[in-house]
Amino acid sequence: MNKLFKYGMVLALFAATACTDLDLSPKSTTTADVLFQDESAYRAFLARVYSGLAVTGQAGPAGAADISSLDEGFSNYLRQYWQFQELTTDEAVIAWGDEGLGDLHNHNWTDANQFVRAIYYRIFFQVSMANEFLRETTEEKLDSRGVSDATRGDIQAYRAEARFLRALSYWHGIDLLGNIPFYTEEQAIGSDAPRQATREEVFNFLDSELQAIESDIVAAGQNEYGRADRAALWMLQAKLYLNAEVYTGTDRYSDAVAATKKVIDSGIYSLEEDYDNLFLTDNDSSPELIFAIPFDGESTQTWGGMTYLIHAPVGGSMDPVDYGINGGWFGLRTTSALVDLFPSESDDIDDRANFYTDGQTKEINSISNFADGYAIVKFQNVSSEGEPGSDLDHGDADFPMFRLGDAYLMYAEAVLRGGSGGDLATAVGYINELRQRAYGDNTGNIAQADLDLDFILDERARELYWEAHRRTDLIRFNQFTENGVWPWKGNVKEGRTTEAFRNLLPIPASEILANPNLSQNQGY
Amino acid sequence: MKLNFDMLTKGLLFVGILLMSQTLLAQRDISGQITDAETGEPLIGANILIVGTSTGTITDFDGNYAMTLPEGTTDLEVSYTGYASKRVTVGSESVLNIQLSAGEVLDEVVVIGYGSVKKDDATGSVNAISDEDFNKGVIVSPDQLITGKVAGVQVSKNSGEPGGGTSIRIRGGTSINAGNEPLFVIDGVPIDNNGNPGTRNPLNFINPNDIATFTVLKDASATAIYGSRGANGVIIITTKRGKAGSPSRLTYDGSYTTSNIIDDLPILSTEAFRNLVTFVAPERLERLGSASTNWFDEVTRPATGQNHNLSFTGGAENIGYRVSVGYQGLEGVIKTSKTERTTIGLNYNHSLLDETLNININLKGAFTKDRFDQGLGASWYFDPTQPVYDPSNTAFGGFFEYGVGLAPRNPVSGIEQIDATGRSFRTLGNIEFEYKMDELIQGLSAKLNLGYDANNGRAATFTPTTYRNKLVSDRDGEIYMENFTRTSSLLDAYLNYKRSFGVHDLDITAGYSYQDFDAEFPQFLAYDLSNDIFGTNSTNPASEFEASNFVVQNRLISFFGRINYGINSKYLFTATLRRDGSTRFGPENRWGLFPSAAFAWRILEEDFADGLRGVFSDLKLRVGYGITGNQEIGDFNYLPRYSLSDAQARYLFGNQYITTVRPDAYDAGLKWEETASLNVGLDFGFGNGRFSGILDYYNKRTNDLLFTVNVPAGTNLSDRVLTNIGEVENEGVELTLNAIAVDSRDFKWDLSGNIAYNRNQILAIDQTSDAGILTGGIAGGVGNNVQILRVGQPAYSFFLFEHKLDANGLPLVDGIDHNDDGTINLADIYEDTNGDGMVNDLDKRPIEKPAPDFIFGLTSAMSYKGFDLSFTLRGSLGNYVYNNSSSDGGYLNRVNERGDIFLNNVHESALVTRFNGPQYFSDYYLEDGSFLRLDNITLGYNFNNLGGRTNLRVYATANNLFLLTNYTGLDPEVGGIDNNPYPRSRSLVFGLTLGL
Repeated sequence: MNKLFKYGMVLALFAATACTDLDLSPKSTTTADVLFQDESAYRAFLARVYSGLAVTGQAGPAGAADISSLDEGFSNYLRQYWQFQELTTDEAVIAWGDEGLGDLHNHNWTDANQFVRAIYYRIFFQVSMANEFLRETTEEKLDSRGVSDATRGDIQAYRAEARFLRALSYWHGIDLLGNIPFYTEEQAIGSDAPRQATREEVFNFLDSELQAIESDIVAAGQNEYGRADRAALWMLQAKLYLNAEVYTGTDRYSDAVAATKKVIDSGIYSLEEDYDNLFLTDNDSSPELIFAIPFDGESTQTWGGMTYLIHAPVGGSMDPVDYGINGGWFGLRTTSALVDLFPSESDDIDDRANFYTDGQTKEINSISNFADGYAIVKFQNVSSEGEPGSDLDHGDADFPMFRLGDAYLMYAEAVLRGGSGGDLATAVGYINELRQRAYGDNTGNIAQADLDLDFILDERARELYWEAHRRTDLIRFNQFTENGVWPWKGNVKEGRTTEAFRNLLPIPASEILANPNLSQNQGY
Repeated sequence: MKLNFDMLTKGLLFVGILLMSQTLLAQRDISGQITDAETGEPLIGANILIVGTSTGTITDFDGNYAMTLPEGTTDLEVSYTGYASKRVTVGSESVLNIQLSAGEVLDEVVVIGYGSVKKDDATGSVNAISDEDFNKGVIVSPDQLITGKVAGVQVSKNSGEPGGGTSIRIRGGTSINAGNEPLFVIDGVPIDNNGNPGTRNPLNFINPNDIATFTVLKDASATAIYGSRGANGVIIITTKRGKAGSPSRLTYDGSYTTSNIIDDLPILSTEAFRNLVTFVAPERLERLGSASTNWFDEVTRPATGQNHNLSFTGGAENIGYRVSVGYQGLEGVIKTSKTERTTIGLNYNHSLLDETLNININLKGAFTKDRFDQGLGASWYFDPTQPVYDPSNTAFGGFFEYGVGLAPRNPVSGIEQIDATGRSFRTLGNIEFEYKMDELIQGLSAKLNLGYDANNGRAATFTPTTYRNKLVSDRDGEIYMENFTRTSSLLDAYLNYKRSFGVHDLDITAGYSYQDFDAEFPQFLAYDLSNDIFGTNSTNPASEFEASNFVVQNRLISFFGRINYGINSKYLFTATLRRDGSTRFGPENRWGLFPSAAFAWRILEEDFADGLRGVFSDLKLRVGYGITGNQEIGDFNYLPRYSLSDAQARYLFGNQYITTVRPDAYDAGLKWEETASLNVGLDFGFGNGRFSGILDYYNKRTNDLLFTVNVPAGTNLSDRVLTNIGEVENEGVELTLNAIAVDSRDFKWDLSGNIAYNRNQILAIDQTSDAGILTGGIAGGVGNNVQILRVGQPAYSFFLFEHKLDANGLPLVDGIDHNDDGTINLADIYEDTNGDGMVNDLDKRPIEKPAPDFIFGLTSAMSYKGFDLSFTLRGSLGNYVYNNSSSDGGYLNRVNERGDIFLNNVHESALVTRFNGPQYFSDYYLEDGSFLRLDNITLGYNFNNLGGRTNLRVYATANNLFLLTNYTGLDPEVGGIDNNPYPRSRSLVFGLTLGL
């Protein structure tokens, strides 16, 4: 008995040690069940859908990256959207030798280009974030979590904004890439690869989607700063309708007039008194901004976004202190094509001609030499009072994605292109408002007879250069590839025309391989 | 508990009898000669121990000994390396000659997972290396002890940093994302080998001097008992322990090291640099300074080091113990870099209850301190005409500095001003109980192993306000501290049944294992300092703070079993099975099953092999197959999770910055990586054991490769997700040969060589991908990759353009319209390999790979009388290196790239290629990195006749004495991309070992 007892004990001890508990929970991250017990998490999640436009990961300025196919600093939404809208055009060149970066101005990017990859994955990261937000805020989910009525009220607006942000990115998607994968919150994580929708299909979805959320989204001027309201939605509608002919073959200029009219007639927005102040650290208080991406030197840091826009254009004899930064990155300049649109190289006539010419040449011999080509002083990390921003690395200025000046120009263009519901006299009036601000008086004013499409394209460059509109504008005016020549376009000094297929970017090679439903854009 | 009482009385009775018998005899002198039983040659330095005491002696040059037997002692135990120990009882004689037989070597035992096996009975590919065969010289981490010693095991120290990390590959890499390092098991405790802040190599905590054996388990039949962690092989380290009944012995081992840089950097001298500026950028001449500074010399130095180890080992009846303390301090050849280690080691083993209960306790502790340098960094290309110091520049500590953030920083300034240190304390301990239950069932025993591994420490960096930092990071002085705590606890409980029935030998093991891993990483950054007084000791001078914490946990629970069945020691079968449960996978895939089976056939035992017996002394065929796993991925990748943003990644709503939450990408179906491997081996020996060898063939196929792949937009929450996709194959042959080349009385020469061939190939990445995944980031530009993972190619193949060559075999210069097509583009200098009429990314080709085809090692050990001379030669063939130092620095325009701010020095290759701009993707920079290196050579002398058991050995070792290679960079052993590594040095070590 004793023997049995003794060895029995040994074996029992063995059996007792055999714990098989493998249910551990994450410690420094959490699950939805835990997270959404706190109702403020919905707001925090919505903020993340917005912040995809500004930051690159959950640690600022870099760390815990959202997308990992390339350098995190390169993966910033605004940085890449800006680069494709500007570096591919007459408005900007960049000195750096990063692989594939020169291809943008050269018009010889391939589907392996890392920046193509960056903007592509950024766009769909936004769509996926918005979809996940919509999945986590369904009636059933809110019921099961017993969410309070007050929060439910907020969530209704949050959902409209998530759908707005999804629409914004889908617009960028069809504008840059044409036919794109299309999916909504109906496609759960882990489901089959989405199908490719035509540009027109997505356009039609956006058309109805924006109308569907118009009543749910907060009224114009009534939302918190940083969040989209009904005017932002109208601006997005205006963008879609103005470019509808490019996207679908059918023009929607009257709808574009209507949308811009809603913005202008809301009476909420007015032009910033001094053009230059639109791009400084205190631009959040500007009455002209309709929708902006907020950045902050301390709280919203990134190596893309505003950090890029305030550092990359500074170099040569420019003193970084003047621009509120600790050092220039010696990258961005412009071509003589933009310079030539202005009456003079200084802002003595047109206040918007913010060229830095000291030590710079107007013409470019070598793109990699910062001294070749005029620099541009636009986005700066100083306030309208000349005070530097809160951090010399990361800027405080917000990026003006939609502003009233653009609404004026779109109204004028839509009317000029035959849109009904507006009139040319009003259009000229709006244009002259912009020009009076620029000239300081009415010496730059135009007459109705001066207003033609060429003028609009040039005026859009003068007013909106470096604000990420140029590529879309040039394509709408059929000046981006087969027509239109500017220095170093197509990788020759004097510039040359390029193949029309470059009006669209390729779908990245990695995505074509991953999703067999996709076919590549013609030409790539 | 009557039984225990029984035992106690039995024990007492036994001791009583012993005591009585001993009192019958008185003290007397004894002497004699110890000789080889066959040749009659005297054995020099044989050990003679008086049984029951801790005293003894060793034989002199003529094999003679003389000693006094204390009262009550009768037995001597004589031992000699390579000979069977012999126990003799001294009668009335005063001269006693003893013969030892070389042929009767005790069965050599090798440790395997959860047990040990007679070497002759081993069925798997298992190689054991014991301390006398270890590498000599400047060694910080224990894995370097076996560099070049085991066929198919590649231990690479990828830089010359003191105490720097190593990478170990056993039979090639089986994985891409889940790690390729083998599992380390130290005294039965599998350790967490992840890197930590403030430490250079997590293995540095083990004092190499405390290690008794390294056992490398290479094939699946050996490693499958470690299941989900066995795919990359297992290295079992056994530390030295005291032996019951052995005499006490005090050993001191000390050495002093000097190290020197071998080569200068291949950059232009000051004069050549001036000439180049004159030639390329005459408009920048005014930028040249008047100094002549060799920046490399300014940041490097001859380094010294010392190493002291003291151990005391001994035993009493049923008790063995060993205590050791060690200190190692080693400077690096880059100024300020240093590593220091203080270790203690304890072993205590005790047999109780009539030797039915064995307790073995190991405790190791190490305190490591590191000082980190700033690397060679800017010293490569910093303008050599600029001075080191500029006393007027007080804002930057009196160093010469450029005033623009984009300009490089003075390399000496960083080295002298930044204080970056790390320290850690790691302790590993275990207590093993073995309880023999023969009384219940003959041959049954139970084992319980309780272990823990606790490691904590921190990295701290102080950057003073006078360092030119503000222009670069907008932080005016900063204090950064990163702490870590890692703990793991282990419980293994298993039963062993070992018994022979006639010709049938059975050895069965079955058990359970539980191991828990916890880690925490708090850190803070404090910056914008008001003064530099306190270093990292106070954060009060700081006005800005950032802090974070991260906590992780994972657990592994396993059931395992093994059956060894032998028939007449002729046919040997092994089967193992392990079932592992890991928290790293979702509930559906949490448990994995890892089986293996092996068969060995000792051919010489067959009757028909009579004829072979004259030629061979050993002939064993082994065949094994098994499945092992790999789970070295992060935690909770299977779970939908949310991560919060930090204070710098918030977003503005109204006037409030919101801390955001992000749903992270996940793959709910994540599971183990599985490697199925086949091993066929032949062990052979001839010339009566004087020559022996091992030949192995293996094939390892890894399925369900854990791979971070691009997923279709819309199917997950990020562009890439870690998922199971793809297949990798490794196939190879290994040969080990050992020879006793000369074995005479005065001169002995042992030679051991090994060579291994491995072929690695990616069989699949996913169904559609033939383009592959770019990897291998380089210095130069951002996001530039020069390697690819592509189906049909070896992992990490280089992926480059084919550079066109001119009549002299030199690459065509860029910027010239060589093909006269009117434009200057890539087609001028690179081949249009796909023939589509243009040159773009699609023309890059996979060319060669960083992993060698062959690795080999040769160890020679000679002794002549008291002298010994040994060396280890090591090399590899077919490993390629991308010379990133040359590609990033070797173009003429580099001089003037930012000529408006500063001038750059250039790599000497620019004078050969005349490249104007960087050609990062040119195959010109891909070089054959095959090499032959004399890792270490040691000359020693043993003073054997110092009286008593005293022995003294003095030695000198040279490390890295020569390197034969065609590689043009500093050293080809860099892991594929040579990008500014810490330079290797040549070291000279003088040391002595004293045993008392």
